[in-house]
Formats: sequence, C-alpha cells, structure tokens
Amino acid sequence: MTATIPRKRIRKVLIANRGEIAVRILRGLREMGIRGAVIYSEPDRLGLPVLLADEAYPIGPAPSRESYLRGEAIVELAVAIGADAIHPGYGFLSERAGFARLCRDAGLTFIGPSPEAIDAMGSKVESRRLMMAAGVPVVPGGKDPLPDLDDAAAAAEAIGYPVMLKAAAGGGGKGMRMIPSPAELASSYRAARSEAAASFGDDSVYLEKYIVEPRHVEIQVMGDLHGKVVSLGERECSLQRRHQKVVEEAPSSVVGPELRRRMGEAAVKAAAAVGYSNAGTCEFLLDRDGNFYFLEMNTRLQVEHPVTELVTGIDLVQTQIRVAEGEPLGPELDGVQPRGHAVEVRLYAEDPWNRFAPSPGRIEMLRWPDGPGVRVDAGVYEGSEVSIHYDPMLAKLIVWAADRERALDRLDRALSELRVEGIRTTAPLFKALLADPDFRSGNLDIGMLDRKLAAGDLQPPVEEGREAARDDLPLIAAALAHHDLANRQATAGPAAPASRRSRWGAAGRRAATGGGGSWT
Amino acid sequence: MDLIVRQGEREEKVRVRRNDDGYEVTVGDRTYHVDALTARAGLRSLRIEDAQTVAQHEVFTRAQGEGVYWVSTSRGAGPVEVADPLAYLAVQTHGGQGGKRRQRVDAYMPGRVTAVLVEEGAAVTRGQGIIVLEAMKMENEIRAEHDGTVTRIHVQPGQPVDMGNPLFDLE
Repeated sequence: MTATIPRKRIRKVLIANRGEIAVRILRGLREMGIRGAVIYSEPDRLGLPVLLADEAYPIGPAPSRESYLRGEAIVELAVAIGADAIHPGYGFLSERAGFARLCRDAGLTFIGPSPEAIDAMGSKVESRRLMMAAGVPVVPGGKDPLPDLDDAAAAAEAIGYPVMLKAAAGGGGKGMRMIPSPAELASSYRAARSEAAASFGDDSVYLEKYIVEPRHVEIQVMGDLHGKVVSLGERECSLQRRHQKVVEEAPSSVVGPELRRRMGEAAVKAAAAVGYSNAGTCEFLLDRDGNFYFLEMNTRLQVEHPVTELVTGIDLVQTQIRVAEGEPLGPELDGVQPRGHAVEVRLYAEDPWNRFAPSPGRIEMLRWPDGPGVRVDAGVYEGSEVSIHYDPMLAKLIVWAADRERALDRLDRALSELRVEGIRTTAPLFKALLADPDFRSGNLDIGMLDRKLAAGDLQPPVEEGREAARDDLPLIAAALAHHDLANRQATAGPAAPASRRSRWGAAGRRAATGGGGSWT
Repeated sequence: MDLIVRQGEREEKVRVRRNDDGYEVTVGDRTYHVDALTARAGLRSLRIEDAQTVAQHEVFTRAQGEGVYWVSTSRGAGPVEVADPLAYLAVQTHGGQGGKRRQRVDAYMPGRVTAVLVEEGAAVTRGQGIIVLEAMKMENEIRAEHDGTVTRIHVQPGQPVDMGNPLFDLE
C-alpha cells in the first residue's frame, strides 16, 4: 500500500443486493447526499428498495444466478450509469474476490476489502494457517491424520481433554466422537476409524479440541486504506438454528472490558495479517473459561451490524463509504466501548410451530413497532408479496435500552405492537424465547436453541392474571365477524354459498397439514 | 344469532345479540358485553366486559371460506369455524347447472336425526322444514332451499349422522 491514497469522492453507488440490506444502504447514502441506484430481478420490481431508490435497473429474472449473481453484467451496468462505487451488501456477490476484482479492473470502488483479503480469508485452511502465524488463537488440533493409537494419545495429551475425533474425509457428524478423558480414547479411536472406513472408505482420523457448549462471539472491525484497523466491540450470536443466527446482541453478557480488549486485539491482528480494509467481522468460539478461538472472518457488512451501531453510535454503512473514499479512521473510533444494550431478532416468513415451513404470500396488514429505542430494518411493506425465490427474512427488529434486562422488556413490548397478517412469521418464537429462563438470564451456547426446539421447550407464553374472555376471545371474534358478514349478506340479498358441505372437513385438513395456527 | 363455533378441538355454543351499545355475546355459560369497532378492514377493537373485568383486544379476522375465519390475536392465530344452524336453509351441492335443479342435501355437522317431517315424493316449498337434526343439544331444522319434490330421504328418525352424510334429495 502506498503512503498517499488519493481521496476519491463517491457521488453515486450501485447497490448489488435486494431486500432490507439494500434499503439500509440507501438510507446511509441519502443521508450523505450520494445517489443510490439499485438493481432488481423481475419479481422485485415493486420491492421496497426500488421504491426508495434514486435509480433502479432490471438485472434479470427471478433466479439469483440470472440476476443478483451476474457480476459482469452488474459491473457493466455500474459503468454505464456512471456509478463510482458498488456496495455488495451481504450474501450474493459480497464475498467473491472475483467480483471485487472486476470492480477494480473497471475503475469502480468496491465498498469492502481488497480481493486479496477476501481470498486470504475465504479459504479455511489458508486463513487458519495465517491466523496461527499471526498469533490469533484457533481451535487447537490439526488435520494431520493419526495412524495409530499412540499418535492419537500424544496428540490428545498435547491438545488437552476433552477432544473430538473427526474423520478426515468426513462431514455431517459421521465419524465424530467426543472423548472426555484418556480412559475413553482407545475404544473411541478404534470405533471412529471403523466408522470412518465404513462411511467414507477412508479410515484416517484427526483430533481437535472439544469446546464444551461454546458461545458465538464476534468482533466488528473496521480498517481504512492507510493501514489502521480498529475493533468496535463484540456481538453475541449464540442463538442459532441450524447454524443460522436468530437473535444477536451487543454487548455479550459474559464479555467484560478485559476480555473485550483481548478479543478486539486478536481480531485486529487477524485483519491486519491480511491487509484488511473496510468493515469485517472475526467470528470466535468462546468457552466457559473465557478462552476464545478464531473461526473465520466475514469480509463484509453483517446482517446483525445494527446492534453494534446502536451501542456505539457509529453508522457502519457510512463509515464503510468514507473509508472506501480514502478517508482515514479518526481517533473517535479508538477504544470504543459499548453503551447500553442492543438486541436484534430476525423476522422470517416462516412458521416456527410447523418446522419453520416457509410462508410466502401477500402481506395483508403490516404494522411495525415504534417508540423509544426501537429500530426496524425492513425490506417489505404492507401489500408486498413475499416470494419463494430469496431468503425469507422480512425484517430485523432491533431494540436498545440501558441494560440487557430492559432491552429484553423493550423487545417484548415491541413484539406486542408488531402486526403481520397474511403470512406467518417467526415473531411467536421470539415471544417464547423471552419467556425462557435461560435466554432471560443470558445462559447461552450455540446449541441451545436447537436443543430447546427439539425438546419442545419453547412454547408461547401463557399470560398471568385474569382478564375478560381471555380464552373465549378467538370464538367471540369469529362469531362477531360471522354475524357482521351474515348481516351484510342479508342486506345485499341471499348469497349462494359454494361447497358448504366441506367446510368442517376443509378446516380439519388444514389443521392436519399444519395450518392450524398457534393458539396458546 | 345462535352459532356453533369451533377452534381446534374446542366447540362451543355462541349466541350473539345486538343491543344498544354493542353486543351481548354468550359463550357456553359465560356472557360478555362487547363493544366492537372496526379500525380498518379486518381489524377490530373489542372492548370485552364480564362481571369483573374489562379488557381491550385488537383482533384481526379474515373470512377464509364459507364459515371459516382466520383469527389473529396477541396470543396466537389460527382458523375458527362458525356454523349457523338456525339461519340455515339448506345445503347445496351436487346440483346440475341451470335447467332442472336437483340437489342432494348433506349433513353439515355431525348429529342425530330427531324427526323427518315429510315423506318421499312430497312436494315442498322453499323454506319448508324437511328434517330435524340435533347437534350440540340444539335442534336444527333443515329446510328446502327451493320449491320442488323430495325424491329421496336417506335417513330415519333416531339415526346418527356424520358430517357429509346425505340427508335427502330435492328436485
């Protein structure tokens, strides 16, 4: 990197994304007086980003490969419309070094790290090697096969129990064995090898440190084009369903100033090791004793970036743009400490009580929560069609309050104001989580949500106290709706009801196929 | 208006009566005074009063099909079914289109036939009672939807019927 970075003013940005993140970026641009252009696939013509954009361009039919993933076409478009820069958002092309390279070759600013940094962090093996060389802690162990029991015993001793035996050719949990102490090593070693041979035709196994009920804690970093990288603190994202984050918060309830400083330093070291610039996130596993291990670096803006924004007061999108223009990071970004507590929930068009079945359709009614400490980053509006083509995330609901307990109370309040009709959403899951003592007390680990869902522990909360007609409310509401409808039909003349015969049966079938709702 | 309302496994007799300042709604043996106002299409504010308490509930309802309503409250959402036995004229299906009206009338809910009011071959007029069906401890007269001839009666007094069982044919 040369000592003088020319400042390059960005006047128009093409957003190579859709949904809520395209809206989020447009908001940042508009506040900075920068023109925002979006691309849209055929079903997204009337999406919220298009309605809010200064310019909008069709990019292809619904499938992502024929629209949002057409890197060359997007770069050509950006040049043709006179954009100075491309913001990739998250997902789609955001972590493809090839796309960042295409931008650079076309003379466009890619709002993100260099293609070299993306490449270096993109490979698990390479990034692990780089991190070890840079002194960033990684999960102890190695991919070296262990040909006999003595090798395994020596490796396990070096790593420290408990350890995990994994099949070199493995995946999906097959051939994996947790070994709590030396006594169990011999039998597990033999069993793991024969299981690996049977499953993969290859009996080589290796050892890794087994981390008991770890938390997912990640550090937001920001780097400028002058070699400065800072940590903006942690986010805790331990609540995951099948490795997908569901709830995120900042700060983590188990990270104090000292651990925050150490994790921040490790993340900055990791970023510096690959010459990182712009926004990025280092993901760590954190064990019960405060040891943390580098997992990977996400070389882009994260979905959950708003919780960091709310506790630091820093606009990450606008900082990304200023950094991309060549502006150095100022001293106000040094030693940033979180203020208060922020929690984000991802609202998906899925039915949490029916195995998270997707729930596409038209949003008939939509009322977002509002009021003190509430932020909604949404990609839809009332009347929107939620299509089956893309990620079913509708919005992120983010709250801020002085401390965690009050933030959770505020989230509860916000969820009670939220109304989405016409499709199912994951809102009832969050209501159930807010009533869960482990979640409430911050007793989290990355397997917790899957365990509780599998055990059926998360149920819609039953409200305390007595109020008129609590249990009869749905019946009263339906009877009144029927009464009004019958009166309207009576005044309008006799209606000819179609297929009366099947109504009980139809409702029964709906209930049997999981359309029976979520009454508590 | 007397209704039978079903929510999941639960089935209740519900009576709705308009009065001066709202509705009197009786669910089973519980009576409520309800002030119901529509805030916007589908969205009602219900002020529900019983002997001890008053509560306001915001409720979204949408007719999903004949007698089926999607009801969404702060405590959950799902379909609720409403059958309207007394206002019921006849069930119509299986009719030919245009020309001669032929109709087989089926039981729209499970119950027991307590009386058959006409004989096979009888000429009937619209609104005339044909069969009395007892369900939910209410006697419901199943009446002819149009003038015609009862060509066949499928049931006898005392016979239990399931939903969808044929009751009579009207031509």
